[in-house]
Amino acid sequence: MTTPTANEPLATPTKPPASKRLATVLGLGVFLLLTITVMLLPTPAHQVDATPDGFAIVGARVFDGERTWERADVLVTQNRIEAIAESLELPTHIETVDGAGKTLLPGLVDAHVHTWGTARADAARFGVTTLLDQFTAPEAVQAARADREAGGATDRADLFSAGVLATVDGGHGTQFGVPVDTLEGPDDAVDWVAARKAEGSDWIKIVVEPGWGRQLATLDPATVRAVIDAAHQQELLAVVHVSRLEDALAVVEMGADGLVHVWRDRVPDAAQVKMFRDAGIFVIPTLVVMEGMVDPAPSVALAAGSLGKRLSGTQRDGLARRFPESARVDWQVVVESVRLLAAAGVPILAGSDAPNPSTAMGLSLHRELALLTTAGLTPQAALAAATSVPATQFKVPHRGRIVAGAMADLVLVDGDPTTDISASHRLAKIWKAGHLVDSAPGKTEPLDTNVAAAPEETLLADFDIGLRSHFGYGWVPTTDQRMGGKSTVDLTEREGALHIAGEIRTGAMFPWAGAMVFPGDNPMSPVDFSSRKELSFRARGDGRQFSAMIFSGKAQGIPASQSFTPGDDWSTIVLPLESFGGANPGMLRGIAFSAVDPPGVFWLEIDDIEIK
Amino acid sequence: MITATLSELADSDRPNRKIDAFKTEVAYELVASWRQLDFALPTVLFPAVFYLFFGVFFGKGSGLATYLVATYGAFGVIGTGLLGFGIGIAVARESGELRLKRVTPAPPSALIGARLVTALWFSAVVLLELFVIAAALGDVRFERGQWLGLAGVLLAGTLPFGALGLAIGTHVSGKGAPAIVNLVYLPSAFLSGLWIPITMLPDFLQNLALFMPPFHLAQLALGVIGMDAGYPWQLHVGVLAGITVIASLIAMRGIRR
Repeated sequence: MTTPTANEPLATPTKPPASKRLATVLGLGVFLLLTITVMLLPTPAHQVDATPDGFAIVGARVFDGERTWERADVLVTQNRIEAIAESLELPTHIETVDGAGKTLLPGLVDAHVHTWGTARADAARFGVTTLLDQFTAPEAVQAARADREAGGATDRADLFSAGVLATVDGGHGTQFGVPVDTLEGPDDAVDWVAARKAEGSDWIKIVVEPGWGRQLATLDPATVRAVIDAAHQQELLAVVHVSRLEDALAVVEMGADGLVHVWRDRVPDAAQVKMFRDAGIFVIPTLVVMEGMVDPAPSVALAAGSLGKRLSGTQRDGLARRFPESARVDWQVVVESVRLLAAAGVPILAGSDAPNPSTAMGLSLHRELALLTTAGLTPQAALAAATSVPATQFKVPHRGRIVAGAMADLVLVDGDPTTDISASHRLAKIWKAGHLVDSAPGKTEPLDTNVAAAPEETLLADFDIGLRSHFGYGWVPTTDQRMGGKSTVDLTEREGALHIAGEIRTGAMFPWAGAMVFPGDNPMSPVDFSSRKELSFRARGDGRQFSAMIFSGKAQGIPASQSFTPGDDWSTIVLPLESFGGANPGMLRGIAFSAVDPPGVFWLEIDDIEIK
Repeated sequence: MITATLSELADSDRPNRKIDAFKTEVAYELVASWRQLDFALPTVLFPAVFYLFFGVFFGKGSGLATYLVATYGAFGVIGTGLLGFGIGIAVARESGELRLKRVTPAPPSALIGARLVTALWFSAVVLLELFVIAAALGDVRFERGQWLGLAGVLLAGTLPFGALGLAIGTHVSGKGAPAIVNLVYLPSAFLSGLWIPITMLPDFLQNLALFMPPFHLAQLALGVIGMDAGYPWQLHVGVLAGITVIASLIAMRGIRR
């Protein structure tokens, strides 16, 4: 026997050996340490606005998700709505919020978003307390799931999600850098749906997208049908992304439960509208994202109004981004199609498709509400489209309604949005699960704001002195590896010009690789070029389209960009600074020349870069 | 029990003897466990490493980080109970160590008691790591009473699983023990919602959880922080007490063999 416990004589405990004393000390020590640690562990900071006994909103007009009460009292206890009535007997000590002249709405539901980063907090600042996500990474869903079940005090919207979408290898949905488990045929459907369910998907989203103008691989009809059937067998809804009327009709016939966009190619005839109605399908038109393709001005104007102060720098940059020229919709077709569907009684759900270009999480849902009224919905029907209708269609419990027992997600606005939808902008107070939501956007990483004066010289670099610039910090390679991507780049001086060669690889949300120059003395330190008019440079390349990007302004954010396509031979490219939407030349921090999508190797040469 | 009678006789001249024997056993059991790094390291590190991965990297600042403190805590203490007893006793039995101990003045209750204290010690280490990581890296905040309650419930949770381990360890061989104990431990931990929230499992698996012993400990721990599934706590306590009694009876039969 060689076990340590067996070879010590137990009968002579007179002088304990060192190991036994050590054991005693360590043994007792750990319990003592645990006790001390537990007494020192951090406890939650108690909110001053916490109202454990609840509060009441008294005398407001109330739209409860389905109908309007001209005057009602609503009592909230902790995170739930306790009661609603035309008049409530309230305990005397309870805190009250005066609702006179105001309208109380259920927390809004955006039925088409993509969440990452600060999306949930961004949405809540605009009164959007529930997000129905139509594609994101499963990790985001899992992290949010416990929150929505706990229903605790939070400044963030609840998230329900499709998780990863159903598409083919190389199809729509695979270009964003989120790993996508693609389907090869109908036989994959059952396992694929089960895998989504295991990851926490609340429903299934399927992409039928043969491409906008260009050809794009997409799921064949047999696989679409198999996924819809598998979803139904596993008690999940199946919603579909389509962009053509014929695809919409096909998936309705297959038993799809909803469409996450309205088609954009032609207006349906009466028989086709009747098919949609009789199938019991719902439609999330996402008018605002399509409007952004033809006319982003109304969204920009909305950001200039009272809602603007709730936008973060990143959200502003998102609003300033534009779809490529190739993204087009026939706006009349889109609006007329929604009008016909709504008139026929097809359930219409408000969704923004934020954060696509020219949208901002939260803000864009308010624009969607207005657009739904231009498509024939009454203001009250538009509000229902952003509250009770999505809650019902997506089977989301306790949201989108003001009834006893529902989550205390509430929005108080000045005025009466049930008759004038633009009153939705006048947000007075927002509660998420009974907790008052802070309207101020979170602080982004502070940047150096000591603006340097522009140098006399206009020539930034001509590469006759190697890779250095004539002023400022100089050139560095830049790639999406910073954002988890895999693109590569290499900068060399070749015959007095900058040779940029590399490869764009999928892996980041927005892949890029290129060269960046900092005109200030330090990387990203701002220089005042407000007196200059244009960025000019000579370039030649491999025929691919490249982006010139300007990093500027007070906060970190997505740069303003302009695309250019240089040919085989050297040519001079002049980009007016004011054509970089959203850029602030008075605080110019960096200029990048990059390749972006699509994936593949590239080369670009540039020379004689001037800011003049 | 004959041994009990014998030790009572031996104890008659020194009333402290039983306690001395117990203290000695505890000390050597601890030393022996530390020396067995292949047992000590996984037991002490796995819950914390898993928590770092799922709770901190995926769930920092969210409800997931909070939920997983309770469930990985349960996972940890169940491990120390099941593995320490299940594998430890089986190995000791096979090596003849148990038989040797019978001829020492230490009563069997001291042997079992020492193993329990050792298991509790490992549980305390696991909870210590987990709580510090959760608070420092996962931004988890609880009221003082909740931290205390969580530590108390989970430490106490070592007992039923120690008994369960004992029942297994007294009936299987030392070679077979790791396989069998892990076969019980890992699947039941998963099905009880210890690794990922139970609501993320398919419905039929969720129903299965009620029959998993770890589920009941996890629910008690989650109850402390208000994230349980809403079953009455008496159910969970009853099941765990039942497990302790039944497993102890089975273990006693095994010891007598």
